[in-house]
Amino acid sequence: MKLIRYEQYNACTTQLCKIRTEVRFACQAMGYPETDINLIALAIDEACTNIIRFAYCGDKSGRIVLEVYQAESQAIFLLRDFAECIEESCLEVKSKCLTEPGGLGLQLIHQIMDSVQLIPPPDSVGNILELKKRLPQG
Amino acid sequence: MVYQQTKHLHYQILKLTGEVDLHNSPQVRKQLLAILKNGSSVLVDFSSLSYIDSSGIATLVEAFNLAKNSKLLLTIVGAVGAPLQVLELTNLNKVFHMVDSLDDIKG
Repeated sequence: MKLIRYEQYNACTTQLCKIRTEVRFACQAMGYPETDINLIALAIDEACTNIIRFAYCGDKSGRIVLEVYQAESQAIFLLRDFAECIEESCLEVKSKCLTEPGGLGLQLIHQIMDSVQLIPPPDSVGNILELKKRLPQG
Repeated sequence: MVYQQTKHLHYQILKLTGEVDLHNSPQVRKQLLAILKNGSSVLVDFSSLSYIDSSGIATLVEAFNLAKNSKLLLTIVGAVGAPLQVLELTNLNKVFHMVDSLDDIKG
């Protein structure tokens, strides 16, 4: 597994643009087409937005670590925060009407990525969200 | 992200330029809801918009519901690229009234 990107950010909405830029660079390096790059950047942005809003509850001193790996057949995006541990059930999408507010970001993440799960952090501090996406063919 | 408000026929146009995310979607929300609360139908011009996230989409949904309840119109103009992909992914392209350009708007 090859490390493509390792970046750290403050849990602040001003960082979202930088995160998207890094994700786009990483996806370009792995050969994704433009349409997939847009969607993957959206999925990672939505995950970071949820960390800022719900894990750190707006505390801008919190940290988010982004790691991007290229494995044999898929890209792996790891997002680590150091906030309180959350339950796997927080990642479940509740079926709902699209014109009602809430939950849309999580729905988009699941629609775009092939796999979304929490993995245990090595020192049991915070959360690591693992998102996987098949690499483009050819 | 920058926005510009102009008028076309009896519509207010809110032109969004750049990227809308959680950092700036509250500004868009404030502007959009103010237009509708003033009793004007609104054209949201996406032609120079390169990115929109779920907070921006949620703002549009809220504004769409307000417009509907106020018997006003909210129309999205010129959505292409990533913003159009998001609308299609959420199937909201079937919910919102969407047109390709201002030329498609009739008084």
